[in-house]
Amino acid sequence: MSITNLLNNWSFYRNKRPYRGQYDLNRQYGEYKWAMAVDLDICTGCNACTTACYAENNLPVVGKHRFEHGQVMHWIRIERYWDEKMGEFPEQGTSFLPMMCQQCEAAPCETVCPVAATSHTNDGLNSQNYHRCIGSRYCSANCPFKVRYFNWWNYPSTAWPAPLEDQLNPDVTVRTKGVMEKCTFCVQRLSEAKSRARTEYRLVRDGEVLPACAQACPTGAISFGNIVDPESKIAKMWKNQQVDLYKDMQEKDNTVRGYRILEDLRPFPSVMYMERVRDAEA
Amino acid sequence: MSESGINRRDFLKVLGLGGSSLALTGCGNTDVQSGVEVVMPNVHPEDFVVPGLSVFYASTCTQCGSACGVMGRVREGRVLKLEGNPESKISGGKICGLGQAAVQAQYNPDRLTQPMVKEGDKLVPTTWEKAMALLDDKTGPKSGISGEQFAFVTGATSGHLKALIQNYMDSLGSKNHFVYEAVSPAIGFAANRQVYGVDMPRLHLDKAKLIVSFGSDFLGTGASPVHFAREYAKFRKAPRGTLVQIEPKMTMTGANADRWIPIIPGTEGVFALGVANELLNHEEYVRATSPDIVALVRKYDRETVSRATGVRPELVAHVAALLWEKTPSLVISGASAEGHVHGVQNAMAIQLLNKILGNVGKTVDGQAQSPFPQIAPSAGSFAALKAMNDEMGGGKFKAVFIHGANPVFTAPSFMGFRENLRKAPFKVAFVDAIDETAQECDLVLPILTAVEDFGSHVAWYQPEGVEVSIQQPLMEKLHADTRSMGDIMLDLVKVRRAEEYKAWPDFFSYLKTAVVAVKPVVKYTDTDEHFWYDVLSHGLIQVDAPQQEVGANFAAAALDLSSSAPVQDPKFPFYLIPSERHNFRDGRHANLGWLQESPDPLTTVVWDSWAEIHPKTAASMGISEGDYLEIASQNGMLKVKAYLFPGIHPDAISIPLGQGHEALGRFAQGVGVNPFRILDPVFEKSTGEIAMYGTRVSVRKTGSKETVVKDEGPYNTQLGRKLVVTLPADVAQLSKEI
Amino acid sequence: MINTFEEREVEVERRFVRKEKDIREDIAWAKINSDVLRSLERPRMLFWVIFLGSLALFMFGVSCEIYQYETGLGVANLDNPQVWGLYIATFIFWIGMSHSGTLLSAILHLMHADWRKPIYRFAEAMTTFSLMTAGLFVMVHLGRVWQFYYVVAYPNERWTWPNFQSPLVWDATAIFTYLTSSMIFLYIGMIPDLAICRDNATGFRKRFYTFLSLGWMGTDRQWANFRVTYLTVACFLIPLAVSVHSIVATDFAVSQQPGWHITSFPPYFVAGALYSGCAAIITLFIVLRYVFRFEEYMTMPILEKTAKLTFAISMVWTYLNLVEYSATWYGDDMYAKQALIYRATGDYAVFWWSMNFLGSVVPFTLAFKKLRNHIPTMLVVSILLNVGMWLERWMIVSPTFANGIYPWTMDHDQWPAWVQWGMVAGSFGWFNMLFMLFCKIFPSVSMYEVKEMVYHRSLHTKAHGEPSVNHELAAEGGTAS
Repeated sequence: MSITNLLNNWSFYRNKRPYRGQYDLNRQYGEYKWAMAVDLDICTGCNACTTACYAENNLPVVGKHRFEHGQVMHWIRIERYWDEKMGEFPEQGTSFLPMMCQQCEAAPCETVCPVAATSHTNDGLNSQNYHRCIGSRYCSANCPFKVRYFNWWNYPSTAWPAPLEDQLNPDVTVRTKGVMEKCTFCVQRLSEAKSRARTEYRLVRDGEVLPACAQACPTGAISFGNIVDPESKIAKMWKNQQVDLYKDMQEKDNTVRGYRILEDLRPFPSVMYMERVRDAEA
Repeated sequence: MSESGINRRDFLKVLGLGGSSLALTGCGNTDVQSGVEVVMPNVHPEDFVVPGLSVFYASTCTQCGSACGVMGRVREGRVLKLEGNPESKISGGKICGLGQAAVQAQYNPDRLTQPMVKEGDKLVPTTWEKAMALLDDKTGPKSGISGEQFAFVTGATSGHLKALIQNYMDSLGSKNHFVYEAVSPAIGFAANRQVYGVDMPRLHLDKAKLIVSFGSDFLGTGASPVHFAREYAKFRKAPRGTLVQIEPKMTMTGANADRWIPIIPGTEGVFALGVANELLNHEEYVRATSPDIVALVRKYDRETVSRATGVRPELVAHVAALLWEKTPSLVISGASAEGHVHGVQNAMAIQLLNKILGNVGKTVDGQAQSPFPQIAPSAGSFAALKAMNDEMGGGKFKAVFIHGANPVFTAPSFMGFRENLRKAPFKVAFVDAIDETAQECDLVLPILTAVEDFGSHVAWYQPEGVEVSIQQPLMEKLHADTRSMGDIMLDLVKVRRAEEYKAWPDFFSYLKTAVVAVKPVVKYTDTDEHFWYDVLSHGLIQVDAPQQEVGANFAAAALDLSSSAPVQDPKFPFYLIPSERHNFRDGRHANLGWLQESPDPLTTVVWDSWAEIHPKTAASMGISEGDYLEIASQNGMLKVKAYLFPGIHPDAISIPLGQGHEALGRFAQGVGVNPFRILDPVFEKSTGEIAMYGTRVSVRKTGSKETVVKDEGPYNTQLGRKLVVTLPADVAQLSKEI
Repeated sequence: MINTFEEREVEVERRFVRKEKDIREDIAWAKINSDVLRSLERPRMLFWVIFLGSLALFMFGVSCEIYQYETGLGVANLDNPQVWGLYIATFIFWIGMSHSGTLLSAILHLMHADWRKPIYRFAEAMTTFSLMTAGLFVMVHLGRVWQFYYVVAYPNERWTWPNFQSPLVWDATAIFTYLTSSMIFLYIGMIPDLAICRDNATGFRKRFYTFLSLGWMGTDRQWANFRVTYLTVACFLIPLAVSVHSIVATDFAVSQQPGWHITSFPPYFVAGALYSGCAAIITLFIVLRYVFRFEEYMTMPILEKTAKLTFAISMVWTYLNLVEYSATWYGDDMYAKQALIYRATGDYAVFWWSMNFLGSVVPFTLAFKKLRNHIPTMLVVSILLNVGMWLERWMIVSPTFANGIYPWTMDHDQWPAWVQWGMVAGSFGWFNMLFMLFCKIFPSVSMYEVKEMVYHRSLHTKAHGEPSVNHELAAEGGTAS
């Protein structure tokens, strides 16, 4: 952040985030706010999203030993929870939860990074600047979802034995040792779509761009889009599910499924989850 | 020659090279592979290659038999990623993790890059000329080999490669084409043929309000997981369908069930008949059912069924009540119900419910009838390998070709397949990476991977019409010394039938001719060339074909399960469940790092094998997570770590299939154990298929212990956090959602 | 007659030290000079043992860092979520250690507690060196240590600045400021003594001390300026000291993690810092007293007073600790409560209970006069207290990571790899090495202030006519002039 920028836009920066009107279709910046919705009722836990993410984002395969030491680099992981009140058998199946960076609007990771390597973009993403990152890992320490992954090893030299490195996506940096990384909502796809749209004097159309996980998901449990555009599917879904981006405590009907995880910590996540449904009479 | 050892010519060469490389670096680019600077000519690029822009090509995924249409993202001549092809009725623009990993198979560091020939005990590199000469020597006209003495083992196959293989077999006069799949749908097919008159009916998940699945993992490993996952998503939308899963070990599908019912393995048919008995309390069902079946079903009262299956009696009535209440419904049988001595009967008893409930014709109907019998799929069976093995053991075969199957790995040890294979004097494997079977072969030929090669595929489960999926290369071949399987087969066919095949220099032209021949069937009116490019750019040929007739024929005698009670053996008290994982299937994909590192959905274990054991059983035996267990059947023993898993019947032990490789490269070798090895010789009585779930084992704690490498943390519940919230279906108003 | 140093030493020991006497009021100024200057020449053998041992430990730490630098932080067995491990725990430990130096030299200076005078110099040195050690840990824990300067607000062509919201930036700023200030403070306080060194040295040492003593002649004007400067810097240093550890506390307190997100953390950290610092002073007091034969200056009453101070601070720390526990226990923060229960009953329970025992129960030994005056006991107790305080820092950092907010990523199995332990050990080597070098090169007892103290006391005695201590030894005088 430049000091001139800071001084010139002081009133903008000292606003509490998020605030209503922060994103606006008619503003030059802030006409996009990318958001996601995950329907837990149709997520089958198949891990297609995880593998798609490995393929798209050059995630290293760390191997058994490093996995054992918790050094795995999956930006999106499928969590599996058993019911706390489960008897002898899980009679209502299990609960799967795809967990990726929640792109919080009031992100706990952003404020603590000493070098501002992680900060908010104009389109509401929680960006990670690998070149600026010095690897203090404070962001990970403060992330309530623990979705930030640190390069404990020099993966570029070990994780892609030749010719596996030919698969690497040239649009995505291969991260070196000592930097933090995390889900970006496939920002390389978003940038490409945005620049394509800009050359055609329009905004990105709904459904024109999807992150790798949403594109792969066989059941379509992951929806993605620009929530600023009231006509987009994602904006309609959020509205329908009575989840307000700018609120930390949602007031919603109990028949509505939308919620955000760990909202009590007030990070204002950009990912809405939709409650799992189970037929209690079955 | 000058003193410095450089003659004039060399000097000029050096000078010329130096001059040009100087010029090159000025406008050069860095080559991705080698890091050296090369010229990237922008003047005459390859077709569609714009540096920095990616192009999507339509093709077909061959990671499993569902033949999903995919789109390969290609940039600077390299395929980077696969996405689903939205035009494909099978994939509908979606793709599973296994499909994604196809690009890793392409760039696998352990790929076979040159022909290998066995010298002594070792495979050593050779050239294609020598390899083909050897092939000619052993199987050509001069070898004097007869059709009887030749065998070709392939995995499930379809499309024009299948036709070509058939032609080759014909040219040899051989009928020994064995289509072998280690985890095959053959038992289900047999039951379906008896009941419906077709191999596989079409299942309309989306139309059902209730699905009762007896061990069918349709979301993970079934006929067409991506297609069924899409159907499942529709099924879960308003009005939300209910899923009941009855199986001994929770599959991924079971994990998504509204009601998951653990059952003693092999008693699924009894449970189904018990449910039928409850249903027949409704007069209208009785009227629609033949009296002898009613009489048979009456024997299966609640208490009897409960005793046999280990399921609480009220649950039998409960499932029946649900089926009565929610119509139309769909009852599916799956691997864990079918892999028994009486597997066909089990499956038929389960399908009987569809008949009683009147689902046939509603949620169960016929697939489209393929108009191309030549390229129709062969799904493969275990019985094929068994037959082949028996003949090979007798020393019948002089030459054995193996493609798309790894029987040395997947054949149970009681078959002695490895030893029998050694009896054949000449074995050839066509592989892209050296697996256990290739290691045993005398000649190993490196073939192209699916993303480098042309091909065509027809899935045996067709959701809509008939989709002939076209596979086209997404990039130039990566290794110069690899060849297309189709090209090799064409060369081999030409050995004996040069005249008939001389029009086709390679498999590409053969395929093109064959595909263009389809033109009238799809009523395409433009030129052949246009049709061909049309097909390539869509990646498929969609053929509208009449639907197969589906009957519903049940004979009471075939349904009688009274003698199906499992044999109790106090030495082997546990049922072994060799469970198929959606990522590895029979183990052929174990060399893909992404799949090894993709956690198993239910246990979240990676890079390993494990034995799932119910916590109650574990407690009674003093077993905790990570304890090494010796799991022994009559035919072998495996040492594997325990994982305490509540989703399994307390009398069962489950070990996932696919790991335990001795070959297949750095990612697969030495990871986990191979439960195929310890399977007992228990066969399904009418088909001769191996009863995958029929093996009994003993479990012994060894005393050694090791951490189970898994994604799951120390807790497996939400600890009171609001992470995954569950809403009762009667509260949720899905119909109001967007 | 007493002729040799050794005999004299024995005599001093017999007559004064063993009798738990304070510094003699009638000690000759020349003798003070000679005794202290002697520490620059011939220490006991133990000095070299400590120095070489420390050097070896330090080299081991350096090799660990080289290995980690080359290979990546994975060798330290850190993981997600256990991202900090021993590095940050030990960082807080060393920051804490730095506080007592300022306490003794600045706060007690303002409070005119003259018993501090013989020991404040080394305490001040301890401050500087422990800050330098703490700084090392900030470096070694970074993923890309070669770019550490991004944290510093320096003008650059990209117009990028550090994130001023981040407590780590506050940290870096506070630590650098504190380090610079305490070095200046240490140096200023040494100027008159450096002049004494200069006057007594020869050869290159003379040139060295001449350069450092900045032309100190001891004129009235110089003394007046010196007093004002010293007082000013002391006043400046006190808020700085409090702020440094408060800021380190905010590293944790402003985060959302359970067990960190606690309002009382700043005072709690400051108390803990003073606590471990005082305990470290006792340890070093005993070591220096023996190694440099400072028995006459570092007397038992001083040790006793330091011990009393330590005891008082330990009770403050215990109180704040209990406040933290009870606030968490009776509060309705589910995450924090679970984390507290995990600390007490989970994988770290042994360390957590040891921490509480060593930090709150062991200091009660300091309540007994007999034990306060028993040197071996004090050595053991002071080291134990610091072990407890190190455990405290570890118990702040690691269990929170192990049992944080998010259940799926909780990690109970992480154990620091030998690289981490090696660097912790190396930090002790580095600190001891620097400290021992300092004591060898600079006068570790402030000569001029001891003289002042003695002078004031003797004035006091004269005025009140109290019986003076015996004069025999004083008459015999020191050997150096």
